[in-house]
Amino acid sequence: MTPLDKTSKIDKRKRRSQFIAFTLFKLMSYSVVAMLILILGFITTKGIGVINWEFLTTAPQEGMTKGGIYPAIIGTLVLVLGSSLFSFPIGIMSGIYMNEYATNSKLAAFIRVMTNNLSGVPSVVFGLFGMALFVNTMGFGDSILAGSLTLGLLSLPLVIRTTEESLKAIDFSFREGSLALGATKLQTIRKVILPMAFPNIITGLILSIGRVSGETAPILFTVAAYFLPKLPHSIFDQVMALPYHLYVISTSGTDIEASRGIAYGTALVLIAIVLIVNLLANFLRTFFSKRVKMN
Amino acid sequence: MLTVEAKNVDFYYSDFHALKNISLEVEKNKVVAFIGPSGCGKSTFLRILNRMNDLIDGTRMTGSVLIEGEDIYAPNVRVDELRKKVGMVFQKPNPFPKTIFENIAYGLRVNGIKDNSFIEQRVEESLKSAALWDEVKDKLKKSAFALSGGQQQRLCIARALAISPKVVLMDEPASALDPISTAKIEELIYELKKDYTIIIVTHNMQQASRVSDKTAYFYLGELIEYDDTTKIFTNPQKESTQNYITGRFG
Ligand SMILES: Nc1ncnc2c1ncn2[C@@H]1O[C@H](COP(=O)(O)OP(=O)(O)OP(=O)(O)O)[C@@H](O)[C@H]1O
Ligand SMILES: [Mg+2]
Repeated sequence: MTPLDKTSKIDKRKRRSQFIAFTLFKLMSYSVVAMLILILGFITTKGIGVINWEFLTTAPQEGMTKGGIYPAIIGTLVLVLGSSLFSFPIGIMSGIYMNEYATNSKLAAFIRVMTNNLSGVPSVVFGLFGMALFVNTMGFGDSILAGSLTLGLLSLPLVIRTTEESLKAIDFSFREGSLALGATKLQTIRKVILPMAFPNIITGLILSIGRVSGETAPILFTVAAYFLPKLPHSIFDQVMALPYHLYVISTSGTDIEASRGIAYGTALVLIAIVLIVNLLANFLRTFFSKRVKMN
Repeated sequence: MLTVEAKNVDFYYSDFHALKNISLEVEKNKVVAFIGPSGCGKSTFLRILNRMNDLIDGTRMTGSVLIEGEDIYAPNVRVDELRKKVGMVFQKPNPFPKTIFENIAYGLRVNGIKDNSFIEQRVEESLKSAALWDEVKDKLKKSAFALSGGQQQRLCIARALAISPKVVLMDEPASALDPISTAKIEELIYELKKDYTIIIVTHNMQQASRVSDKTAYFYLGELIEYDDTTKIFTNPQKESTQNYITGRFG
């Protein structure tokens, strides 16, 4: 009898601990799903009652206890667009620079540390900073421009990070293959590396949109209007925005009890927008990964 | 004229001295095999010839390398021009995630060629030279990833040939392939030497003796022996070479 012949007891123990561990993992992941369903279900049942075409297409009325949330929807969309115009080009180009040109340089390491720190800064600090810089110093006032720039700053670290990570994930052999054919570095990035990284970059961009559309603090002092039933005419106008509107009618509206339904409706619309954006991200991701393989 | 002429090449990865005083000449339209135990510097030397090592941080080289009489490490040399002249096939097939056609056309396009009928003609010619045409002519618009490993490697060879290099460097091009694909690549090398100068790294002694005119044996960063392949395999001058080819170590 060698020790190896006596393993059946050990085998049993191995299997038991494996069973316990997996059951635990399974329970935990189920409970996450359960919580998510709970939240969505709660908001949906409370909010679905007020949602109709009028709610989506008219301005708030009677001290925001009646009417719709049209200006806030438009305001959020405008801010998302504005901040993306700012953060996507800058973020993507910095990401490319850091991963492809300055991989091991001190500068890239410095930018990396800074962006990591930046993504840990509470969003209200961004709001304060945006107010000081864009609203006051640069004189944009409370405006779409100031709000977009502030939100753009907030999402910049995420855009840089995902771009860098997506590029890093592309095997070096593809770069070598291209360079060995006499391609320049820029050609290699443009024609081989970026198309391959694109599906992942897109996912990052859209997640950042999700984040931007839900933020309240950064727009609080830079663009958001408490009540403004008309649509903006220029980038120097203020707008309403969904998250701030939700905050306002839940905490400081004229009649909080009367606007409760509207608050849940607003929350539902906000969640729906984020959900649609995420689905879109998934769709674009699969679409572009298929295309990359094909051409 | 000599196609490759390396003189007193020393190479360092940071402070690791990977190649020691290598001098070696390759004549036009010959096949040269680099052999030697793992880590002896074969790939490093190969990558010196198309300046692929430039991509690695902290490397340093002394000595000189001439390709067709031109010093490729001279300050005014444009690396992309050099790599057009000195093509490379890697150990692991690395086709781009593009169609078969676009994989071959890529090298032409990045070198500024826009004439579509010329590109089509070159794609066909290169695939024929790489003995792949018959297998893929009906699916040029399909993804290159759908090919087998052996086909992908021949695609990579075709890709390298499409831009008409003078020298083709191959780093263990058949090491990831089955015997049939390997035989195809060996046949191919034999055909290609009519038009190209070829340097191939291999761990397979039979392969080296079958395909090459001359063989260089490296050991611990030094070029121990460089001679006609028949001579290296029948009557090597150094004991170390003898030991290696008879499989006593390495
Ligand atoms: N990027 C690198 N950084 C540091 N050292 C390296 C690097 N690449 C290779 N080396 C070292 O240089 C030496 C030569 O490596 P090289 O890849 O040229 O060997 P090789 O002869 O091609 O080996 P193999 O047959 O295993 O491919 C080895 O000792 C290796 O550890
Ligand atoms: Mg090697």
